[in-house]
Amino acid sequence: MARILLLSPILISLFCLIGCKELNPSEKYLRWVGDIEFNPALDDPEFYPCNGEEQVLQYFNLEAGPQFPGEKPALEQLFKSQYVVDSIAGQSGWIRLRFMVNCKGKAGRFRLLEANSSMVAFQFDSSISEQLMSITKSIKEWPILYRGQKAIDYYFYLTFKLKDAQIQEILP
Amino acid sequence: MLLFTFLMSALTAHSQPNCLVFKEQGQMKRYQACEKSKALKGHYQFSREFQEILDEVLEIDSTFAYAYRAKSVAYLKSGDFIQWKKLMDQAVKYDPQGMLGYRGWCRYQFFRDYSGAIADLEQLTRLVNHDIGYSVTGEYHLKVALAICYGALGEQRKAIELITEHLKKEKHFIGLYDYLHLAVLHLELGEYNASIQALKKQIGEFDLAEVHYYLGLNYRQLSRIRADQEKARQEKELALNEFLRARDLYEKGNRMRDGYSHPMHKIFLAEIENEITLLTVQEDG
Repeated sequence: MARILLLSPILISLFCLIGCKELNPSEKYLRWVGDIEFNPALDDPEFYPCNGEEQVLQYFNLEAGPQFPGEKPALEQLFKSQYVVDSIAGQSGWIRLRFMVNCKGKAGRFRLLEANSSMVAFQFDSSISEQLMSITKSIKEWPILYRGQKAIDYYFYLTFKLKDAQIQEILP
Repeated sequence: MLLFTFLMSALTAHSQPNCLVFKEQGQMKRYQACEKSKALKGHYQFSREFQEILDEVLEIDSTFAYAYRAKSVAYLKSGDFIQWKKLMDQAVKYDPQGMLGYRGWCRYQFFRDYSGAIADLEQLTRLVNHDIGYSVTGEYHLKVALAICYGALGEQRKAIELITEHLKKEKHFIGLYDYLHLAVLHLELGEYNASIQALKKQIGEFDLAEVHYYLGLNYRQLSRIRADQEKARQEKELALNEFLRARDLYEKGNRMRDGYSHPMHKIFLAEIENEITLLTVQEDG
């Protein structure tokens, strides 16, 4: 036991050399706030931005406002018809699903962010977050945005404002 | 490249404090932090460089509200409510008078956090003895934003009083959509004639598809409660004409817009089409 204790600083250093990548200041942030790096454990390898990672814009960079397949009422109707969760007291706050839409109108690299009514990190019941994720992923065609004649890749998100597990509003 | 240049110039253009004021007040740490923040110029607010400069600014002066707010913007626009709120809480902590209005507005505009926005704007009203100011977009007086939030929580009467009081002021600012919001609040309370009056005033300020859509809803409602059949028929006709006008304006692009989200009381083409169909079917029936 004593030998293990003596060795522990060496073992920790060794593990850190292998797995604990210390962030230097230039790595604290990605290219842009909100960028989503490819994660092979989560993401479809067939999905990628057409114009390279460095050229992915935000949906609002083209000043056209948020764009939805078939305008927003169609999106709201989709969730209204497919999201089925009973009222669960205390399951209130916001869930954001952020993702990338490529030049072909396909979406990928979905990421979840959850907060309670005070905007503090909070894990919703999985029946809620999984359904929201599943319905969002079921949308196969997102609007293709253009810069001039060129179709761009962009980040978009859906934020669900929830009260007792029921969707009150979909943003933006 | 041109686009990136545009983004950098347009999106970093938020007001830089006058650093010399801090120097004259003997706040030397604040002065140094402020001077450091001048390096933000030319960097896009989402960028690593922008965020890192602000981290350095906050290392010099961790109580500089401006820096927290500047850092928060990219999180706000990317929908990261957790980081945004943390940063803005710090900004409000160190400069409540300067930051409550902004945080309140953003809570409403980006997150539809009506009660959070009301709390901020009411706190600001109690804190200052001057006008509480305008939304960061410049389109709304914060009293009107406060009213919209009350309206969204079902307190339409209070909302109407707030907007009416604001519009009565001798030197008041009329926002782009003030009368439209007032009209919708009246409509929600079944006060159709008051709603129509407000919408007619809105046409004088800024005519757009939404005005005619809500005019159509008012006329349609009036036609339903009218005992006089001829008058009811005329109002139904007026309603249809307003919906057709709304569709025309919508298709021409004259509608409520916001680069980041959908403005409150905005309508969409499908909603206009639906009303036209309903009225046409009734006519045919």
